[in-house]
Amino acid sequence: MSTIVIGLSLSFLLFLLAAGLTLIFGMLGVINFAHGALYMLGAYVCYQIVHWTGSFWIGLAFAPLVVAALGAAMEVVTLRPVYNRDHIYQLLLTFGFILVIEESVRLIWGLDYKQVPTPDLFSQPIALFGSQIPSYRLFIIGFGALVSVLLFLLLDRSKLGMVIRAASSDSEMAQTLGVDVAKVRTAVFALGSGLAALGGVVAAPLVPIELGMGFSVIIDCFVVVIIGGLGNIKGAIFAALLLGMARAAGFTYAPEWVELITFVLLIVTLMTRPSGLFSRKGRAA
Amino acid sequence: MSMLRLDQILMAAAVAAMIVFAMVSTSEESLNLISLILIWGLLAIGFDLIFGMAGMLSFGHAAMFGAGGYALALLAPQFGFLPSLLVAAVAGAALAFLLSVFALRVSGLFFSLLTLSLAQLVYILASTKLRAFTGGLDGIPGVLRPALFGVDFYNNRNYFYFLVVVFVIGVAIMALLRISPFGSALKAVQANDVRAEQIGYNVQRLRQCAFMISGAYAGVSGALLASLMFYVSPQMLHWSTSGDVLIMTLLGGKGTLLGPVLGVAVFEVLKEELSQFTEHWYGVLGIVFILCTIFLPNGIAGLFAVLGRGRKGASK
Repeated sequence: MSTIVIGLSLSFLLFLLAAGLTLIFGMLGVINFAHGALYMLGAYVCYQIVHWTGSFWIGLAFAPLVVAALGAAMEVVTLRPVYNRDHIYQLLLTFGFILVIEESVRLIWGLDYKQVPTPDLFSQPIALFGSQIPSYRLFIIGFGALVSVLLFLLLDRSKLGMVIRAASSDSEMAQTLGVDVAKVRTAVFALGSGLAALGGVVAAPLVPIELGMGFSVIIDCFVVVIIGGLGNIKGAIFAALLLGMARAAGFTYAPEWVELITFVLLIVTLMTRPSGLFSRKGRAA
Repeated sequence: MSMLRLDQILMAAAVAAMIVFAMVSTSEESLNLISLILIWGLLAIGFDLIFGMAGMLSFGHAAMFGAGGYALALLAPQFGFLPSLLVAAVAGAALAFLLSVFALRVSGLFFSLLTLSLAQLVYILASTKLRAFTGGLDGIPGVLRPALFGVDFYNNRNYFYFLVVVFVIGVAIMALLRISPFGSALKAVQANDVRAEQIGYNVQRLRQCAFMISGAYAGVSGALLASLMFYVSPQMLHWSTSGDVLIMTLLGGKGTLLGPVLGVAVFEVLKEELSQFTEHWYGVLGIVFILCTIFLPNGIAGLFAVLGRGRKGASK
């Protein structure tokens, strides 16, 4: 039972991150290498807010906003001038972000591990089907599900979502029809950065907050979007579930090999369906 | 390929001047710095074969670089230095082949993600599962230097001459490759892979060959670094190695023979100078990198090209 709970909470965490990554890719055609760095930054900002206010919930509310604002600024200042160039240059820029963000974090918070305490409301484990379940894990599952539903509603039902989808599938046509594509790009980059930070905040009470946390997560995230098909949010949720559950099962039954599970899944997927399990068109990019 | 252009001669002169400087200078520090530049330069030259010529952005070169280092560290005591250096090249190429079996099933940005993921797999394997061979996170100390013609290569100045010889051979081979039909074919693949396929090129095979040659350069370069430092560790396999070589190549100018070497030189000198002022030099480097990506997409070689032509427009 606890394997399932841990697996699901891991899945939703991965999904929050992968959703941001795949949204940005769908809209901007950019793979945001700095996604893991933004996740890490989210956790650090949350730590700082908790440090000042003592409340995890204020951190949950504001840290993603702070990082989203930063994401918007990065997009406007650096990415916007190079959209008409080869995609490689945009990827290179996001790689540059990693260096700057990591170094800034080191400058501000130093190298020590930081810790965010589990919020009081969820600090006690609860008994479920005869096993003790950390209740914070249940919170992640519920919260992750809520955010996923909101994200689907935003993209599928709202006016803004329609504009985003239109601009993703044909930015020139959308521009001609009066959509300010530049603004939509900035908004999507901000949304994606915010989602990454949200992932970082949610993970903050579970893991030690340190500089390397971004990179270890970004690989899993890449694997999720590759398995799910890049730019495909519904594929991402399935892939996140697959990877999250596989890792949780690995922790329980074969802890020696858990680091390799991710790669096995990746390789098997690529050997069978090179463009991802749920790709709509042929090969992307 | 056109005749030698002025900018290429200028770049060659700059690299030659750097080597001569190391020879006449008595400073151990600059000797060490320029040794590093030659070694990383080989890596960058090989990296540019796929990045600048074939348009493939690999984030996995750390794997081949490290493989070369480990190959030399493990084999040199038994088989001698030169054979092991050769094996390091083969190991780099073989690992590149293995990665390409998976990574070349996809193209474009996916290729970058996959090479990154697979290189990370190699990093994890080397630091945990293969501890018996690789010494885990501690690495392998006491990597040998060459023993040839009775020269003492444990003297850094003598080892530097050895590096110069390997470097010049590496550059010469690459120069020939670039003007060979193989080089032109790679350019065709970069410009338009569908059209190249239609003309009759086997695009996948070309990409795979280029990746393997690039892997061999990475292997040799990793072996030389291990020998310079007397030490090899998983740090060489870390993804930041792949990132560094990318920064160097882009700083220097992708798609040019010697541009990447100049990029390495600027990177290493910046690192040396910046780290004296601030421990946060990597962040400053990140900002320099971002600015170069936006404003100087052809790197230092682009500046040379402007000099060489005396008019606007860098080579594309």
